Amino acid sequence: MRRAVYNAAIPNMLNRALRLAAGFRLALQILSLIPAFVGMVQAADWSGPEEQLAQKIVAVIGPGAVSLTLENRSSLGRRDNEVIGNGLRAALEALGLRFVKPEQAAASVAITLSENPSSYVWVAQIRLAAGEAAVVMVSAPRAEGPAVPRDSVPFSLRKVPLWSQEERILDVAVLEENVAPTRIAVLDAEKVSLYRSQGGKWQQEQMLALSHSQPWPRDLRGRLIAAKDHLFDVYLPGVLCRSTTSVPLSLSCHESDDPWPLVSGSLLMGASSGTPTATFPNSGASAAIPVLIAQMSAFFAPTRNFFTGALAPGVGKFTTVAKFYSAAAAPREKYVLWLFASTDGQVHMVDGFTDLTAKLGWGPDLASVRTSCGAGWQVLATSSADQAEDSIRAYEFPDRDPVPVTTGVDFAGEVTALWTEAKGDTAVAIARNRETGNYESFRLAVACNQ
Amino acid sequence: MKVFGWRWLVTNSVIFVLVIAGSLVATAETRPQYGGTLHVAMRAAPSSLNSGDCTQPNSFASRNLALLIFETLVTTEDGVRVRPALATSWQESSGNQRWQFRVRRGVKFHDGAVFTPEIAASALRSANPLWNVIANADSVIIESDTPDPGLPLKLALACNAIVKKTSDGKLSGTGPFHITDWQPTKKLSLAAEENYWGGRPFLDAIEIELGKNYHDQLTALELGRADLVEVAPEQSHRVSTDGRRVASSAPMELVALLFSRDEQSADDKLLREALAFSVDRASIRSVLLQGAGQPAGSILPNWMSGYGFVFPTEADLPRARHQREQVRSLPEWTVGYDASDSLARLVVERIALNARDAGLTLRPTTVNTPDLRLVRIPLAAADPRISLENFAAAEGLPKPQFNAGSAEDLYSAEQAALATQRLIPLFHLPATYGASTILKNWTVRSDGSWGLADSWLGTTKP
Repeated sequence: MRRAVYNAAIPNMLNRALRLAAGFRLALQILSLIPAFVGMVQAADWSGPEEQLAQKIVAVIGPGAVSLTLENRSSLGRRDNEVIGNGLRAALEALGLRFVKPEQAAASVAITLSENPSSYVWVAQIRLAAGEAAVVMVSAPRAEGPAVPRDSVPFSLRKVPLWSQEERILDVAVLEENVAPTRIAVLDAEKVSLYRSQGGKWQQEQMLALSHSQPWPRDLRGRLIAAKDHLFDVYLPGVLCRSTTSVPLSLSCHESDDPWPLVSGSLLMGASSGTPTATFPNSGASAAIPVLIAQMSAFFAPTRNFFTGALAPGVGKFTTVAKFYSAAAAPREKYVLWLFASTDGQVHMVDGFTDLTAKLGWGPDLASVRTSCGAGWQVLATSSADQAEDSIRAYEFPDRDPVPVTTGVDFAGEVTALWTEAKGDTAVAIARNRETGNYESFRLAVACNQ
Repeated sequence: MKVFGWRWLVTNSVIFVLVIAGSLVATAETRPQYGGTLHVAMRAAPSSLNSGDCTQPNSFASRNLALLIFETLVTTEDGVRVRPALATSWQESSGNQRWQFRVRRGVKFHDGAVFTPEIAASALRSANPLWNVIANADSVIIESDTPDPGLPLKLALACNAIVKKTSDGKLSGTGPFHITDWQPTKKLSLAAEENYWGGRPFLDAIEIELGKNYHDQLTALELGRADLVEVAPEQSHRVSTDGRRVASSAPMELVALLFSRDEQSADDKLLREALAFSVDRASIRSVLLQGAGQPAGSILPNWMSGYGFVFPTEADLPRARHQREQVRSLPEWTVGYDASDSLARLVVERIALNARDAGLTLRPTTVNTPDLRLVRIPLAAADPRISLENFAAAEGLPKPQFNAGSAEDLYSAEQAALATQRLIPLFHLPATYGASTILKNWTVRSDGSWGLADSWLGTTKP
């Protein structure tokens, strides 16, 4: 099992994230240059197999006049194809071959760039004038393709990479930040890993194993929530873990059916009557009227992947709703509309008096974020069913039907988790990259129209 | 004013309900749901669920059935990267001649017995008589006479699943589903293993009907009596264009003519070459296979080896005739096929016609001892070396010699196998399946395997 000590891909992206404050457009321009740079690096790497294949060809036909054709049957792009073609010609010329028309050639060489699941396979089919034929070939390990950065538009949902690893990520909590995250905690099925950014690279600080006596359910879900009097709590199906306060940390886990917070801890400020609450502006950045959100928790099924529907304390008269995967709060002027993505595919809208159901074409993951844009809050929702690559989009509820306020941000695979972060103004999304198989976590932030 | 407000509220409420409930039909089903029974139909009718013989090719169906119930020490999703399963880690020593696999703790068989290195070693010894398998504390050690860098990939094969026989002779595994009813060649019923170490499967149960022909399977899918069925290669294009959900593996099944004996003489060699040159694979693929599969001149498909295209597949009738004309006495060859496979009969008849154009005489037959026969052999794995080794072992060809890990080394080994002239490769076919739209998170991997432990049944059709 590979242990992630230094995550090579993400720090580069994180460096770009550091520049977000100075100008996101500049970062995009820099990003756009990366594929070209990667291409240059890859091109330089072809010299080894080029020389090997050239040597094998010359060993068969010797120096002299040949006709040469090159065909690409692999997934290599046009640029690589050109670079390799030029490299092969140069290597063959250096070994004494001259390229002529077929009718003038003592031998014909047909080179095919092919591949199998683990390697590029370059095959030279040689036909000598005497009618003899030979096949020589070389192989070179296949490299994983570079990730292509996606677009961004004004009043948009921005996606900032946090961490990537092979094991399934359940949640990521940003513990410290200075413009960009500088210390994060990553929750997976077996451990919580703490990383600190040093010189633009993530260094593992500590790894805390999770203990559990029962097998985890499939589609395991979990939450990592920063706490006030200690560093963080971990909520897992049937298990609650609590960290200590000081470094080196330790983690204490025990079986528990405690409900999971739906509104994270640091939102629970501004309580005026003993009831923990969160404040949200309700109508734009300049005219925000505080709205109080009562603390809300929900019970999670210990052997399944959903919340049972039992709420604590509840939304108005509703202490139980349908089984759901996720929930989001949509504060209104005088009440809070709660949205529950239920397991039957519908969204339940609960305002304390009514429980309306609707099919909104949303996926199972919802989260709400408090911002200085538009109505002051947005609900993030995954796209619906049966697509290999998910997207997340932000919505507002001027009335009771959702209005999209950003275009969707795409992910390179299925979104497996979406949680509101501790401060409430951003969310963490986790997706499994369809090509690499790695789990990638991102911070999602709504950027206002400026 | 009050009346206006009431009307406004009612009107808007009605519009809201209509818009929300009626106009948008997509549903939030990307998060897996627990429950339900999956109904599967397949053509294979195995009399045993134990596929623990690595010298014999197993059908895709047998492999997939086995891996619902039993598990291997390691697994692979893409045929390249090995991942932990019943073993959590492994290491090699002595230049890949000795491999040590540390077994997972806390795993139990469906009958309640604890999974131990001793049981694992016993199962692996039975499936691989040439291996020296030792149970050692918390590990299984496998030693071989020659370096075997691909051994972990071999352990991912279904034939290396850890199967335990209970005292009453029944089979017990550690996989995500346990057997509730087994009627050999007819029906297999499975239920989710609640305490499966990898997490209880989403499905409650799987009902598998065996021995169903392709037509009956497709009918069952259309009538909603089956959620997952096999699709005949020649029907895959039509079924997909009918709007049904179809998924295929990479071309993993070799269709070939296999001679029952090695070449007997120089004349025999020439006639075999003549037959190979006479086969018009392109028209057979176009007409009989309806465009499915790929013409093959090699044992390994091109996607697996990277060099398969260098073996010619085009018919060369003049050359076939030239080879045949060098032989004075022409035998009549009988060519056998599986009588229950209608496609095989058509292909054999077409090849007989091609051969006649070259001056050869082939007589199709279903007798047991033909001179050559049409075979459909599922390749063992996505790894080319393992597939070539298993193919050679199963068909009695010389064991391939791999001196290095290069593509050229593999090419040499395959060329040597083909040089025996025991077989004439014809096509590489994918394994194709049709699925109900309520079956979610299910895909066919490149090697034809599918894992149903992560699949689930949706409540609605998109």
